[in-house]
Amino acid sequence: MGAIWDLVIMKPLINVLIVLSHYLFGSFGLAIIALTIVINLLMYPLTVKQLRATKSMQALQPKLAELQKKYAKDRARLAQEQMSLYRESGVSPAGCILPMLLQMPVWIALFYSIMKLLGVTPEDFLGLSQYLYSWPIVYTLLPLGNNFLWLNLATGDFVLAILVGGTMWLQQKMTTMSGTDPRQQSMNRMMQWMMPLMFAFLTLQFPSGLALYWVTSNVIRIVMQYFATGWGGLVPSPTGRPAGGKDKKYLKRIAQVEQVPSPPSGGSSVAETGPAPEEVAHGASGGTSQDSRRSYPEGARPIRRGPRRGKGHRDKRR
Amino acid sequence: MQFNRRPWRGKLMLSLAILAGVTLLGCATGVQPRGWSGGTVRDGSLLLGSMEGKLVALDISQGAILWEVPFEAAATPGGGFGCARPSAPVAIYSTPAVAGDLVYVTTYSGKVYAINAETGALRWVYPREGALRPLVGALTASQDRVYFGTSGGEVYALNAATGDRVWVAPVEGRVWSTPAVYGDTLYVGSFDKKLYALSAADGKKKWEFDTDGAIASSPLVYGDTVYVGSFDRHLYAIDASGGGLKWKFPAGNWFWATPVAYGDAIYAGNLDNKVYILNARSGGKLAEPIDLGSPIASSPALIDGRVVFATEAGKIYALDTATNRVDELRDVKEKVHAPLAGGQGVAYVHTMKDTVYAVNADTGAVREFRIKSR
Repeated sequence: MGAIWDLVIMKPLINVLIVLSHYLFGSFGLAIIALTIVINLLMYPLTVKQLRATKSMQALQPKLAELQKKYAKDRARLAQEQMSLYRESGVSPAGCILPMLLQMPVWIALFYSIMKLLGVTPEDFLGLSQYLYSWPIVYTLLPLGNNFLWLNLATGDFVLAILVGGTMWLQQKMTTMSGTDPRQQSMNRMMQWMMPLMFAFLTLQFPSGLALYWVTSNVIRIVMQYFATGWGGLVPSPTGRPAGGKDKKYLKRIAQVEQVPSPPSGGSSVAETGPAPEEVAHGASGGTSQDSRRSYPEGARPIRRGPRRGKGHRDKRR
Repeated sequence: MQFNRRPWRGKLMLSLAILAGVTLLGCATGVQPRGWSGGTVRDGSLLLGSMEGKLVALDISQGAILWEVPFEAAATPGGGFGCARPSAPVAIYSTPAVAGDLVYVTTYSGKVYAINAETGALRWVYPREGALRPLVGALTASQDRVYFGTSGGEVYALNAATGDRVWVAPVEGRVWSTPAVYGDTLYVGSFDKKLYALSAADGKKKWEFDTDGAIASSPLVYGDTVYVGSFDRHLYAIDASGGGLKWKFPAGNWFWATPVAYGDAIYAGNLDNKVYILNARSGGKLAEPIDLGSPIASSPALIDGRVVFATEAGKIYALDTATNRVDELRDVKEKVHAPLAGGQGVAYVHTMKDTVYAVNADTGAVREFRIKSR
């Protein structure tokens, strides 16, 4: 297993980083940034899928809350209904976490690569020799320089820790799934702060090269997320509810699912499904539901996916 | 079936798992330097740096520790969150150097210590305040001075008796190798891909020789030639007085270990698992390369006409210089990076598990000494 990991992941990554450094003015920092961009581009389809899945999950929150309320005393039935809801709505909870899971090996491989390439310890550097392709360029470029901007890529950095924490907070805020369950809301708030703080702390402990990957990756995901789903929870709506401008297109769909008559543009409505007003109280505009299906369990309606044309959801029904 | 009743729990668990995974990276990857000090034999004792940050004097005949000197703990340099300790043992990569009644050792925490070889009493420490950049290479003692290089790209000469600085010379890259002294010249390899010849008197540069890769291997001066291996996968033979290239030999990977010279031959281990036996004058192959099956990072020892090699995987071999035949002496099954020490027909192998194996170079008989505190 270790040999396969080395052959398939570690060796290509290490050698690509060295070659990138060569072509990027000998800068290992630029090589890390370039590699991060490439990795994120490769994972773009999955990332978009995750963003959409997260949004879809968010849209289902009122219905999930309703199901929980309705079947509070029958857990088996509740689980059954929830599964039905996920299935009929085309939402896969796994879709929210798959890209994150896929990133883990990348993090691990990048961590090992940086440690070895920078020769953070003599042991790491000695081990590097077994990962190199027999390309002359690879042998003559080592060890890579560990200075980039103000950073020593081999050690932790306070400014970078702030950047990692800040960008992660922004990204978390954009994806935070609001819900009706007070425990969930509490947990969301906790996660929103805990993860950035922890990663900021880890940045101080780990080589800056790895943190450079984190902060670059966060920035890229923020940009992707903006174009896919808007600012999300980052920008509060006029009613005080979190809703970005681009969310309106999406929320309109939610309103359609809820079959709530939409008020004039910019206004807000109150969902008839009761216990989850915040999920549907964002400004939804225009159009009534084109969904004619009436056979779903109470409150559970399928979410129709809009045509996908690059930048996430677009509603043609204007 | 309870399927994702509370989706946020899944997200929480995943986040915590990621956090734990990232945290554990620091524990699992050897972020903290551990050291690989070789041993030096002196009057029936073996002096070496342990992986617990101590200089240890081991009675070879009794297997008892005569004395040990713990060096001040180093702050955790980074990583290891979650498994990190407030401080870590000092890593010692250098083989102790002995001159007179003193033993000298450098530490990764940037200190040089001179210690009484009989009693273990501290004679001096350099610098007295603060620390230098990490020290990986060992010192070389010559006449009344000791010489060493730092990871900050400096070469130092200190008064061997007092620890006072005599001179410091800058080079352009990390110095992880041990300097070699011959006559009034100091030879030192650097990560800036150069071999420097410095005046031992004042540190002024006499000449420099460019290779195409970093140099971590300590140079060997033999006759009028300096032999040094490079990360460009070549072993170089350089004129010791003028710095001109005599020959260079290509191998399959880095030269990390210092070669050994005997008679007309150079015996050089390489990280491509092979031992190269070369004519010292021409660089031609005297025998086909011998594959030992694992990288050779540990510098070999010359013992009674045999060159003893240790592979990274822990196999110990003896190469008969008369026949160029290799015999496996022992498989200690522990990783070996430290240079080998030799004395009275025995090779001393310090493994990465902090165990010393005394391997008879003729019979392969082994004695085992546990250095690690119980």
